[in-house]
Amino acid sequence: MTAPDDVDLDRVWTSVAAEVWRRHPSRLERTATRLLRSPGLARALLTTPSLLFPWLIASAVILAIGALAQVGANQPLVGLLAPVVAAVGIAYAYGPGIDPAWELACSCAVSDRLVLLTRSVAVFAVNAALGLAASATTLGTRAETHTAQLTFGWLLPMTAVCALTLAVAVAFRSAAVGAGAGVAAWIVVVLARGAFTAAPGTSSTAASLATAVTDANLYLPYLAAAVLCAAVVYYATRPQRGIQ
Amino acid sequence: MNIELSDITRKFSRNVAVDGVTLDAGPGVLGLLGPNGAGKTSLLRMLATILPPSSGQLTLLGRDPRKPADRREIRRRLGYLPQSLGYYPSFTVVEFIEYFALLKEVPPHLVPKAVAAAVEKVDLGPRAKSKLRTLSGGMLRRVGIAQAIVNEPQLALFDEPTAGLDPEQRVAFRALIRDLGQTATVIVSTHLVEDVGAACSEVALMSDGKVVFRGTPQELTARGEAGQGVGDAPLERGYSAILSAARAAS
Amino acid sequence: MVVNRSRTECNRRVMDDDELIARVASGDGDDTALRELFTRHAPWLAARLRGALPPEDVEDVLQETFIAVWKNAKTYQPQGAPAAWLWVIARNQAALLLRKRGQPAAPLPGEAAGPSTDFAEAALTRAHLDAAAALALGGPDRAEEREVWRLLYVEDRPVAEVAKLTGVPEGTVKSRAHRARRLLRAALGGAPTGTHTGPHATEGGTR
Repeated sequence: MTAPDDVDLDRVWTSVAAEVWRRHPSRLERTATRLLRSPGLARALLTTPSLLFPWLIASAVILAIGALAQVGANQPLVGLLAPVVAAVGIAYAYGPGIDPAWELACSCAVSDRLVLLTRSVAVFAVNAALGLAASATTLGTRAETHTAQLTFGWLLPMTAVCALTLAVAVAFRSAAVGAGAGVAAWIVVVLARGAFTAAPGTSSTAASLATAVTDANLYLPYLAAAVLCAAVVYYATRPQRGIQ
Repeated sequence: MNIELSDITRKFSRNVAVDGVTLDAGPGVLGLLGPNGAGKTSLLRMLATILPPSSGQLTLLGRDPRKPADRREIRRRLGYLPQSLGYYPSFTVVEFIEYFALLKEVPPHLVPKAVAAAVEKVDLGPRAKSKLRTLSGGMLRRVGIAQAIVNEPQLALFDEPTAGLDPEQRVAFRALIRDLGQTATVIVSTHLVEDVGAACSEVALMSDGKVVFRGTPQELTARGEAGQGVGDAPLERGYSAILSAARAAS
Repeated sequence: MVVNRSRTECNRRVMDDDELIARVASGDGDDTALRELFTRHAPWLAARLRGALPPEDVEDVLQETFIAVWKNAKTYQPQGAPAAWLWVIARNQAALLLRKRGQPAAPLPGEAAGPSTDFAEAALTRAHLDAAAALALGGPDRAEEREVWRLLYVEDRPVAEVAKLTGVPEGTVKSRAHRARRLLRAALGGAPTGTHTGPHATEGGTR
């Protein structure tokens, strides 16, 4: 029996398929949609490569090793590791380096700047939380590695390193270049401060390095660097630049 | 008029990719022909609001893309298929199209039906829930076409859309854009002359950043007969005749 | 588009309807199996519904039918005609649609039939059936049979659910259903039902 001429079976199937193929967002996505007031932005956030499960697990493992080193061998590594873990995560949060459909995404209504901001803030927050969790586990260890400075002081350098990574990644449109710059900058800062503050004739330990880079004298330079890099990000993501 | 370009220029360092293009287009299908390096992709990127012109006046859908609010409104009504579109390998066909429907701010309650309609239009229904990494090049191109039409755009831009499609699929694509062109402005940038002849009501030919011909496919064919074009088909002869004349003039 | 296009990129051997429904019911659901079911059955379902409903309603009912098939494929028991099962769902969706609008039930063929089945088309209309049911099962002494009739045949619930709702064992539900059918047949004056198994024989298990 053939269908009547006035019944559009293709339209019927499309409606059935819509229901069958419909994706049901997770509770996390629904919450993000409500908070961000944009389903597109929420979806973009939850598909951030450096917020996907495998990446988070890897970051947690690295920081856990740092915490173990701190507890077991008295080496406060969390504060030295957290900034680079976060920086690499930020580099791989957004941009043509990691998004094969970036050109298309730039032509969409949800602003790419907004996606960049949302993803970067989320990656930073998640890594800060992981770092704080790792630090918290080291509370109760020996006094010289358990100070407020070493437990929380790395947050400001982490901000600066992440801002630098983001600025370079956005300016050069390359996640790898951004990550490389961030990691290299941090290593330079750590070694330079270590050399600068070490007593003559002694070698640096993890504790002395960690203390050196979280010194209160550096707060203003870190902050200034972060603000400068934020300005670079703002300028490099201006619509007038376009995708070229 | 959905597109109004007035003396649009785009420079990259010293290279002038688009040189003083003036173009108006309303609903219908406009084929954009030209050799590599003619400026077609740069022009399309400017129309897609992702590359600002170096100079000139650009109005899309009656709005100014330099203003953020207007740009957002244009992009909601825009469909764009870039020349090279990468894919997220772990996404399924439906997830990928839905992602861009959401980024284009299609109202959420309309998204499932819009996605299903787009998938069916490009005949990917049987592969709707397949992961993109399992698809062939031609199928991936069709996924790209589907995301470009999911928001029922008023301005649809396709850059080399039929690359990798077999003849049957190319025929289907031409039918799709003819249908779309009833109400929207469709611009198809291609170097496949037969795509233009079959689907486009108008043709523009670019060379060295300039539009050197604007007219119907029949007029292009006539130029081929009049001039000394080379090619196997009438449109090809028209194409080469105009290009030769343009190069001789410059 | 869907119906007229030849099957592309689909090397599956021709499966019978039971297999297709089983695939729809499996795991997360096989949407290509549902698509095949739609291609095979939507045309004749549309034709039959069109006899009683305007085109827009036919489309709505078909849509709800196949969404119901997608959601409830697990309840199908492969021992009868899948076409009959589909028709029962379609007819019930039609009745639901009309009930939502407050319209009386449209006359729809009560008998489950498909293009490849041998069942004789019944002369029963839904309205006729409802009227007969009211006649046969009216009265306080038929309350149990009436309730089972309503839950099992009008609301199309499975036997297990009806047992839970009425608080009696499944066997009791089945015997009440049997009594109800007998009474109904008597009220209809022994009108032919096409087969001795009755219109609902193939849905959801033995009743």
